[in-house]
Formats: sequence, C-alpha cells, structure tokens
Amino acid sequence: MSEPFEPKIVAFVCTYCTYAGADLAGTSRLKYAPNVRIVRLPCTGRISPMFILKALQKGADTVLVSGCHPGDCHFTAGNYHARRRWTVFRALLAFTGIPEERIRFSWVSAAEGAKFAEMINDITDETRKLGPFTQYQELQKVIETQSSY
Amino acid sequence: MTRILLRNKLDECIAAWQKAGFSVLAPVRRHEMSSFGEVQKVADMALDLVLTERTIKDKFFPQTEPLIKYKISKQQIDSETMTPPDQKRVFFGVRPCDASGLAIDDPLFGWDYKDDYWFRRRDNSVIVTIACAKADDFCMCTSVKLSPESTKGADVMLRPLLEGSGWQIEVCTERGKALLEIVSSLLLEGNGHTFPLPQVAEKFDVEKVMEWLASKENFESQFWKDISLRCVGCGSCTFLCPTCHCFDIQDEGDTYQGIRRKNWDSCSFANFTMHTSGHNPRNTQSTRWRQRIMHKFNYYRGKFGVNSCSGCGRCTRQCPVDMGITETLQAISNLPR
Amino acid sequence: MGIQEQYRSEAAALLSSGEVKLIIGFGAGSTADRRRPLFARTPDEAQKFVLDAACIANLSTYLVTEGLLSDGKKVAVFLKPDGIRSVNILISEAQLKPEQVVILGYAIDNAEVTPLEGRKISDFSISEQIRSLTPPPHILQEAERIEEMSATERFEFWKEHFAKCIKCYACRQVCPMCYCRRCIVDVNQPQWISTSSHTLGNFEWNLVRAFHLAGRCAACGACDRACPVNIPLRLVNYRMGKEVSDAFDYCAGENSNQKPVLASFKQDDPETFIL
Repeated sequence: MSEPFEPKIVAFVCTYCTYAGADLAGTSRLKYAPNVRIVRLPCTGRISPMFILKALQKGADTVLVSGCHPGDCHFTAGNYHARRRWTVFRALLAFTGIPEERIRFSWVSAAEGAKFAEMINDITDETRKLGPFTQYQELQKVIETQSSY
Repeated sequence: MTRILLRNKLDECIAAWQKAGFSVLAPVRRHEMSSFGEVQKVADMALDLVLTERTIKDKFFPQTEPLIKYKISKQQIDSETMTPPDQKRVFFGVRPCDASGLAIDDPLFGWDYKDDYWFRRRDNSVIVTIACAKADDFCMCTSVKLSPESTKGADVMLRPLLEGSGWQIEVCTERGKALLEIVSSLLLEGNGHTFPLPQVAEKFDVEKVMEWLASKENFESQFWKDISLRCVGCGSCTFLCPTCHCFDIQDEGDTYQGIRRKNWDSCSFANFTMHTSGHNPRNTQSTRWRQRIMHKFNYYRGKFGVNSCSGCGRCTRQCPVDMGITETLQAISNLPR
Repeated sequence: MGIQEQYRSEAAALLSSGEVKLIIGFGAGSTADRRRPLFARTPDEAQKFVLDAACIANLSTYLVTEGLLSDGKKVAVFLKPDGIRSVNILISEAQLKPEQVVILGYAIDNAEVTPLEGRKISDFSISEQIRSLTPPPHILQEAERIEEMSATERFEFWKEHFAKCIKCYACRQVCPMCYCRRCIVDVNQPQWISTSSHTLGNFEWNLVRAFHLAGRCAACGACDRACPVNIPLRLVNYRMGKEVSDAFDYCAGENSNQKPVLASFKQDDPETFIL
C-alpha cells in the first residue's frame, strides 16, 4: 500500500520575529502540521535566493520565507532589502515556470503564534493538494540515471 | 567495385540499421541549434550545413557524466559504478574534421589507462563521413594537413554525387564494411561523378608554427600578451572543439550520498590551474592562451605524434570576440625569423 | 570627415598626448561582416580602428579586467549608449573611477553611425535614451508569448533551452557586470550551484545569473550574442529589468550616482504577495 503524499515544507525564518512567533505557537500548545522544517537565520535580509533554490533541489515541495513586519526589523532594514529581493526573485521564478504557489513569503511577528500555526497548516494543506513538486525533482532524477549520451 | 548509396534509399537503410539494433544519428537542426541527433528518416536530417554547430564529441565524451554513485553509512561506503550505455550507433553525415577529432583523441583516452567511458562508446559506433561540398571562411582543415575528404576517423566515406542524388561509397574499415553489409541490397554498383571538393585555402604554415613553438625562448615572448588581449576567458572554443578533452571530477551530493561526475573543463577558465593554496601558475589570460596553443601544437604532438586540431574552425566561428586558433597561428607563421 | 576618420585622429591624439595609456575600440574581423575588439597603445595602432554599423559589441567589459586601471592612468573606449549605461552602473558600484574613463561615444541608427557629444561619463545624459531603449521587437514578442503560457509550458520552454547549455560561461565573461573575482558557481565551499551541465545545473546557473543581474543589466545583448548554443538570454534579463522598472521605478545606468536597486529600498515598496 503506497503511503499518502506528505509534503515537505522548508521555512526560512528570521530569529527575532517569525522564529519567536513559532516558539509562541509551541508554548501556547497550538497544533500545526509537522511537515515544516524550520531553518533559523538572524534576519530575512540574510536569506539568499540560493537557499530557496537549494531547498527545492533537495526535495522541498514548498518553501516559506518569513520575517518581521516592515518597520519592525530587529536590524532596522533587513526586511526591506529582503522584500525587494523577493519581488525580483519571484518574478524570475514565475517567468521560468516555477509555479508561484511553491514559494511563499510572509510577515509574522513574535506575537503572532496563531498566525504562524494557521499559516503552516494552510500551506501544508494546499501543498498536499498541489502534490509533490515533481518538475524540479524530475530534473534531479535525470541526474542520477546513467547518462544517455 | 565502387558502390553508390542513393538518397531515396536512405530511409530504408535507416530502417534496416535500426532493425539490426543501431540507433541512427545525423546532423539536425533542433531548438535553434545544429547538432547530431537521432533521426528516423532522411527528412529529419540537415545535410546542407557546412558543419554542425556542436560536434559529435559530446556523444562520446558527454559534457557531464556520472561515474560512481555512492552511499555513506556508519559502517561503510557503498558504491556503484555507472557504466555508459551499450547502444550501437551509426553517425551518418559526419564531417571529415569531426571524424578526425575522434581519431585524434583516441590515443589520449587509451594512454595511461583505457578509458572505458570513451572506448565503450567508440567501439559501439560506426562513423559514416560525408565529404564536404562546401566550406566557409572559417574552415582551415588544409592548414593542419587534413582535407575536405580526409578519411581519418571514418569507417565509411561517402562522396556527394554531382546531381545530388546520393553518394559514392568508400569503405574505410572492417566496421564500416560490416555496416554496409546490412544494407548491401539497397546499394547500387557504379561510380558516378562526385561533387568537386571546396577549395580550402591554407591559412597558415603549420610547420613554421610548430618550429616556432618548439623553440624555448619564444615561450616568454611578448607575442603571447599581444595576441590574447581580447580573449575574455570563456570556454566556448574548448567546448566546441572536436579534440579538446579536459575534464573536472566533481562529487555532487550531500553528507550521505552522491554521484561522482566527470564534467567538461576548459584551460581558458581562470580557475583551471588554481591550487588549493591560492597560487595560480596561469593567472593571466595570456598564459592560458599560450597553454592552449602549445598544448595543441607542441605538447600533444610530442606525446602522441599528432596535432590536437582538426581544422574545423569552430573556435573562431563561435568566439564572442572573433579570436580562435587561426589568427594566432597565422600571426606566428608570419613572424619575422 | 566621416566618423571613423574623426575618431581615428582623436584616438591618435589621445595617445600621442599621453592622456590615455590605452584605447579599446574595434578593428576588422576575420570576415568582412565581423568586427573584433582592438587595443591600441600607439598613434599608429589607432589608425587601425574601424567604426561602422557592425560595431555592436559592448566593450565596457574590458574596463573591469583585473589590474587594468590599478595604475591610476586613463583608458579610452568606444561605447554606444548601452556601453555608456554599463559604465554608469560600474561607477555606481564602485568598480570604476569616472576620471579614468574617456568615452568615444557613438550611436547606431539603422545603418548610420553618429558621434555622441562628450568625453567624460558625466557629459552623457542618456536617461531618456535608456528609458525608451526597448529591446529588439523579437525579444518583446517572445517575452509576451511566454507571459501568456502556463507555468508548465514556461518550464518546458526554458528546459528545452537550458538543456543546451554547456556551462562555457561565455555569457558571464562578456558581461561587464559579471566582475566578481570568484563567481558563485566557482565557489565550492559549499557548492551552491552545480557546475555540471545537466539540465538542473543549467537551470540553477542561468537563474542565479539572471537574479544577480536584476536591476544591473544594461541590456546590451552581449550575453545573447556570445552564447554558442543560442539560448535566448536577453529574454530573461529583459524580464528582470522590466520587473525592477515596474516594481521600483528604477532604470539602471541612467547616471553614475544611482544607488543599486537591491542595495536600497523605499518604505512603501510594493508587497502584493506577502502573507
């Protein structure tokens, strides 16, 4: 019997807002889908598009990037830079055919534990419906086979 | 007795070869690029080109190739050698320069050990060369002592008939003979008049060039700096060259598993000779350009008795800044002695 | 006096007066329709310069050759508006000192070549010219065609093209904006981008290069022309330029004082997609 598809979600989050928010979700005993793997960074300004591409290459079905609300960045302006970067990167991915639903961005503050939990649950459900991110992973499979010519 | 292959029999030949287990590859135009690809009939082929933009090199020495698959666990490392496919292939419509490229590289891949990846593919392939009916300004086969009808590397040589109805056949090797046996009923006896060969003027005196390169004091000549000023250091010339063969071994994977791959590499790249200490013996484009020319016309010749150049001219044709071997060798052969 | 003769004598004068140590221009190529970059260090060599409608390469890429300008001397270079744009961008990214670059500017309109007034980078005001600089019609048409496609169709389109990539890096080497001492693809601790030219590795490389050029590309088309396997690189770089222009009202290279677009921000930048 084949196992039902369980999405792999990778979340790159900033330490001072979203990670704290996720922590709050935990201490408040809010249940959220265990499919998410959280990678903590000091600030969204540190998040390079390389991380997102690597996550997809390694088998993530959806990638979430989340940080402090504009104006609340612990490092003052990191999230402003991140926002510009995401706008551009998202356009690039869309233009080259990587569906927009596979990369998500959010602002989640340290007080928004409920928002975090709800968001993870929503994203996991949507990804379950979308199915595994095969188009990228198919390219990966080709690599692992014997070369044709 | 010479035989003729008629163009209108080619579809049947392809079918016969396929039935005998061969995959038939020929020049094709696909995705805005001309290269060699699998064909089912003559209508798929692009036989009117001077030559294809890509060589057949990547069908014997792929630009990326998995060698070993490995898995690392606490106790051991499990590895699986990934072998090249055993598919028999016919390469139909290869240009003499591209065929000679394979023959030039054979001694290298069989030098200190026999490179199974190369030879398995070589042994399974039959090269059917078609002599050139036209050349362009970049061709320079005659300058490196080859020609538009050179049989070097060919198993069968076809010469286009004047009327364009087919080709006159010359069998070059046992392998070629065996291939033609399969379709012998489809061939005609006869001579036919062949299309005249294009005139490919000699662009440089290769003997003079080799003499100059062999002289040790020219190694440090200012010539190298002057001639390579505009080279941007991309890998186009090396990757499109029928004879260039440098490669890099890369392990791709993560902590627990991965694949070891053999990838094309280029001596024009700045990091080609970068040591882990950070020292780079060839850290200027002029030293890298010098290495390319010396390798092709001196070092390779010294080791294997043949220049590592088939005169196809792709290096200049595709160079983004119009460089290539021809200009440099012309300049060397014109230097005052 | 035709523009070629005019610039030849100007070039010779710049060299004989010692104002510049080197001039980068064009010379005859290996065939009648080709032009190649030519480097002149003496007035005699300057007489070999050719300037006509076939001189389309962006020569500003040679200005960032390692060590070229480290002696503080000046270099002159033949540039079209896209090359001038490149120089503006390079100056704004602190890769060039404006006083070291003398520009012999020219514009090609149909088959006519006209000189541009000015010699220092600050003499050229090309903002309007750049803003109206649309890429060739076939690029615009292709870009629109891709926008109409579904995500799967787009992926297939780019998969077909990127599968051809041989990782020769000609696109990177001819680009004036790719001046990193160590390109990200050459970094192996860790290996962010696969150097292998399988489709995935090619996808990664081309995507990342396009991203690194977002808001910095001068739309000169050198990458597209250099690609030996005919990948339509201009398309993706054009799309990035368009995004930056639409989202941030930014056009790279209008002058040498702009702040690079991804190194700056506005508090009210658009955020239509953030949860």
